[in-house]
Amino acid sequence: MAGRIETLAFKAAAGRSAAAMTWLAHLDDQTKLLAKDLEDITPAELQWQPKRGMNTIGMLLAHLAIVEVFWLHVAEGHATEANMRKSLGVGTDDDGMPLPPAGTPPRGLSGLPFKYYLNLIQRGRRQTRRILKGYRDVDLARSITRTRRNGQRQRVSLSWILYHLAEHFSGHYGQILLIRHLYRDRNGKA
Amino acid sequence: MSTTASKRIESRILPAPGCTSPTVALKVAEIADVHAQLRAAIRGLPPAAFAWQPAPRTNTIGMLVAHVALAEVNLAQVVLLAEPRGHTPDVLGLTTDDDGMPIEKYGSTPPAVLAGKDEAFFQSLIEKTEAHTFAACRTLREEQLGDEIARPPRPDGSYRVFDRRWALHHMVEHMAQHLGQLHVLKRQWKAAQPAG
Repeated sequence: MAGRIETLAFKAAAGRSAAAMTWLAHLDDQTKLLAKDLEDITPAELQWQPKRGMNTIGMLLAHLAIVEVFWLHVAEGHATEANMRKSLGVGTDDDGMPLPPAGTPPRGLSGLPFKYYLNLIQRGRRQTRRILKGYRDVDLARSITRTRRNGQRQRVSLSWILYHLAEHFSGHYGQILLIRHLYRDRNGKA
Repeated sequence: MSTTASKRIESRILPAPGCTSPTVALKVAEIADVHAQLRAAIRGLPPAAFAWQPAPRTNTIGMLVAHVALAEVNLAQVVLLAEPRGHTPDVLGLTTDDDGMPIEKYGSTPPAVLAGKDEAFFQSLIEKTEAHTFAACRTLREEQLGDEIARPPRPDGSYRVFDRRWALHHMVEHMAQHLGQLHVLKRQWKAAQPAG
């Protein structure tokens, strides 16, 4: 019998900019793996805090969806609270992040199942996909200047936004896996 | 790449110079950015922080840094350069077992080979890894990115096939995932230190 082959290839969908579509492929790849890793997660685990002041998996999942929509709104020049609610059905602060040192998770996320969070991410992703398909390479060099809540002026390129969304997603994905490990260890399921 | 002048922060990601392939040049820029974040994250940490475990059976910051360096060098050797086998000791002075991961396989304690290592040791791992990866990327051509690289069969007869696009993608996402974990461990380590 011929050996089983595990193929690990990476191909972006067609679009006007290969670079933009590669960042979209990064997000889609990580979302698919994350969904598989969390397919059996319970609402109790989603809202479990390793200790006060630490994020829960549910908070991180909501954060991923909100941040993706937020930065694409910045890229498109219409980052407002009203547009966030219109796009995602939640507010920019509804992930409860950043938590104060002894903070507890936001009540709005209490008891929600993984399906809720996955739908939230996928809802945002549909908008991301539609926008990114229209970008040309020349668009990626465009810069946007914005003022952060702390008054700091920030100038970001479109390519940085797309790259940041990719590495930001992966960074929190890693944290989700770490919290899962701690949860299982604490509950004797390791 | 981020620059700060007074209160203004500028963030851009630009293709790295000196690469033959534009796709690779952008990936090299991403890898360089995550390396820079990793170097910044461990800057100023004492040796004890690299060996600290928040709970039994958890990875340390030192293990994570060694792991991302070993994984990246090994991947560059066996996929980007299509060498028949990895030889990480030639680059890092460490074997692929020396990160002690997965920790359950190695007695649930951090590896002795990393005990007492200081920031300079871990910074040098990242620097050596970066130099190795960039050298492997420099001459890669666009048409080589989709080549199938088949690894030798495993004992059960199965074998893995990679393409270089996946390897470059994996280098970024794998390192970013562990960087995210490192940030959590660092916060926990700081919180566990006596006040004052």
